[in-house]
Amino acid sequence: MDPTSRPAVVIDNGTGYTKMGFAGNVEPCFITPTAVAVNESFSDQTRATAKGNWLAQHSAGVMADLDFLIGEEALARSRSSSTYSLSYPIRNGQVDNWDTMEKFWQQCIFNYLRCDPEDHYFLLTESPLTPPETREYTGEIMFETFNVPGLYIAVQPVLALAAGYTTTKCEMTGVVVDVGDGATHIVPVADGYVIGNSISSIPLTGKDVTQFIQQLMKERGEHIPPEESFDVARRAKEMYCYTCSDIVKEFNKHDREPSKYIKRLTGIKPKTGAPYTCDIGYERFLGPEIFFHPEIYNNDFTTPLQDVIDKCIQSSPIDTRRALYKNIVLSGGSTMFKDFHRRLQRDLKKIVDVRVRASNARLGGDAKAQPVEVNVVSHPIQRYAVWFGGSVLASTAEFYEACHTKAEYEEYGASICRSNPVFKGMY
Amino acid sequence: MILLESHNTIIKNVLTERFVKPSKIDVQFVDYDNVRFHLSTPTSKTVLVLSMGIHCWSDLKKYGAPEILEREFGEWVSNDPNLKEQDYDVTLVLDLEKIPEEGDDRDALIDHFSMLKPIILSAPFHRAYNEHSQLASKHKSTFQPGMADQAPEERGELMIIHYREEEAIYVQAANDRVTIVISTLFTDETDRVFGKVFLQEFVDARRRSSAIGTAPQVMYTTRDPPLEVRNAPGIAGVKRSEDVGWITFVLFPRHFATPEIASDTTFKLELFRDYLHYHIKASKTYMHSRMRARVASFQQILNRAKPEVIQDERKTATGRTFRSR
Ligand SMILES: Nc1ncnc2c1ncn2[C@@H]1O[C@H](COP(=O)(O)OP(=O)(O)OP(=O)(O)O)[C@@H](O)[C@H]1O
Ligand SMILES: [Mg+2]
Repeated sequence: MDPTSRPAVVIDNGTGYTKMGFAGNVEPCFITPTAVAVNESFSDQTRATAKGNWLAQHSAGVMADLDFLIGEEALARSRSSSTYSLSYPIRNGQVDNWDTMEKFWQQCIFNYLRCDPEDHYFLLTESPLTPPETREYTGEIMFETFNVPGLYIAVQPVLALAAGYTTTKCEMTGVVVDVGDGATHIVPVADGYVIGNSISSIPLTGKDVTQFIQQLMKERGEHIPPEESFDVARRAKEMYCYTCSDIVKEFNKHDREPSKYIKRLTGIKPKTGAPYTCDIGYERFLGPEIFFHPEIYNNDFTTPLQDVIDKCIQSSPIDTRRALYKNIVLSGGSTMFKDFHRRLQRDLKKIVDVRVRASNARLGGDAKAQPVEVNVVSHPIQRYAVWFGGSVLASTAEFYEACHTKAEYEEYGASICRSNPVFKGMY
Repeated sequence: MILLESHNTIIKNVLTERFVKPSKIDVQFVDYDNVRFHLSTPTSKTVLVLSMGIHCWSDLKKYGAPEILEREFGEWVSNDPNLKEQDYDVTLVLDLEKIPEEGDDRDALIDHFSMLKPIILSAPFHRAYNEHSQLASKHKSTFQPGMADQAPEERGELMIIHYREEEAIYVQAANDRVTIVISTLFTDETDRVFGKVFLQEFVDARRRSSAIGTAPQVMYTTRDPPLEVRNAPGIAGVKRSEDVGWITFVLFPRHFATPEIASDTTFKLELFRDYLHYHIKASKTYMHSRMRARVASFQQILNRAKPEVIQDERKTATGRTFRSR
């Protein structure tokens, strides 16, 4: 059997979560935190006493370089044992630690997906604005360490757009608003090509929402063990947060009927094992609000998301703008808040309408600008839209032709990974 | 993790989740050595269909896999021709109404399902263990005390399982042992070198350490097939080059004395090829991280070696100083 007759492996490595699975499926097989727990006790000694260390390891029954865990298991282990230290290989969408990244991939392939990497083509993703050197390095690891037969490195927003392609009818032109855990990008795409100089990224991400909620809860005096507070805030966010249409009204609603709006979370203190509870009140709608009113979170960055999107579209080529307004696609876990797309669409429409009215007034009565259609698309698979797009593309026949093969890598070197052509399956 | 696990994590996760909360599903995934799975709910949310396609099914069929399937999964094997999937070899139908209540029973059942592939693949091994005990008793009966020479060695059928395109497992029982030969192909030059070192270490470790002296004997050769399989049918067509490695395990009765030990031995042998390739890749990962550390330390040295820029005060003719920014 030839590798092209087997399903391709699709891995979307995000700052917070890695989505992995096989092409052709609608859901990734695993969504697991991008975290690695490494046992430091042995690897530190390696330099000091190489020989004695080998014996020590041998008698302890471990191999230091294989003594690590990834994902949920890593989080659990690092909590229960102090000999393991936690490392997050990706920071703000970019690979930060190649050592742990390579280990992470190794476990993903061999212990989670359970396949021989020599048997399958691979589709990996990268965030926009990743330097080409990173792509080369990724290619090097994939071809040298894992001997993959073929590799394609796709840009995340393009995949998110491709994901929308099957659920709602649309073409490969649109703006992708990808709000993940460690990076938020607004990326206009025309016919599958990213409009590079119009990409905007803003320093507000899922992590910031969590931090904001954590801070609010602390200020209100909830009794949460400090080492748990980030995790509690994250859980509160994922379970109870929603987008409101008007903050003042929402405050009033909460004040009128607190019993209806206040939610409660319970947990167990890791040290004593005693249970605790905490209330979640205004945080529920204030958390997501930082995207629309960033000034409530910090003073350094105060441009609301809708303004950034508008500016981004206005800086794109003029002939694509209408199409871009018509197809604004959400992707990433932090766009999952209830009614997020409604709110974004309303606020963006407001800005656009003001501009249309102004231009009408300037032109006088004779020429009327056609109204601009603003459409924010949301679909149920938003959380792993990038992965799903990858799965769709990697199951087309064209994918295998667009991949860089191992033979090409050996002939030309890692530089071939710098560019990954847009291929026909994308239309 | 040093060893690869035998069970399939995806099956385990999906079943654990769906047994609690039934919902529609349709996933296709793979396992080592050309095994394909399809888990779906074609008719109703409460009936899960798990199909497995295994590359060497035609070989396994000869060596008792259908009987093992019947024995281990009998009540779940589908009789309904509508549910049986064409491209797959084994189809199990899991009706949620027949699943035990939440608890240890259910967990054990889920574990059992996630072991589908290793259990099916163990058929020829178990057949060899049985054959060994027959041969052993036959041998004993022909051996008369006072006979000058030992009775001639008895050998069973040589079973060949083509579990990958160009790689196979050979299993043969004899009156005093069971021999397993695993052939593997290194497509990559570097892998071949790593593999050689690794397997040589495997052979030597047994000699060095008394703790693993009871482990099965291992032999490793490249290019030419070992004696045991030199006369196997079709062996002439097998590629002979430095890329081909042959690993021979000699199992003695103690390695399959009880059903538990036998299963354990078998599951480990089944995954040996993947275990080997996994460790080759892991060693490369380790080397890379050492290389990166070394580069970083060299860079530090280089940075230290940078000559300092000497800033002397410069004056204009009139005696004023100026600074360059
Ligand atoms: N239902 C939910 N509601 C709100 N937030 C959620 C929900 N589910 C997940 N999140 C948040 O989404 C974030 C993870 O999103 P995602 O997996 O898209 O990020 P990522 O791909 O790991 O990161 P990035 O794309 O920035 O590299 C986390 O901060 C998580 O807390
Ligand atoms: Mg992402």
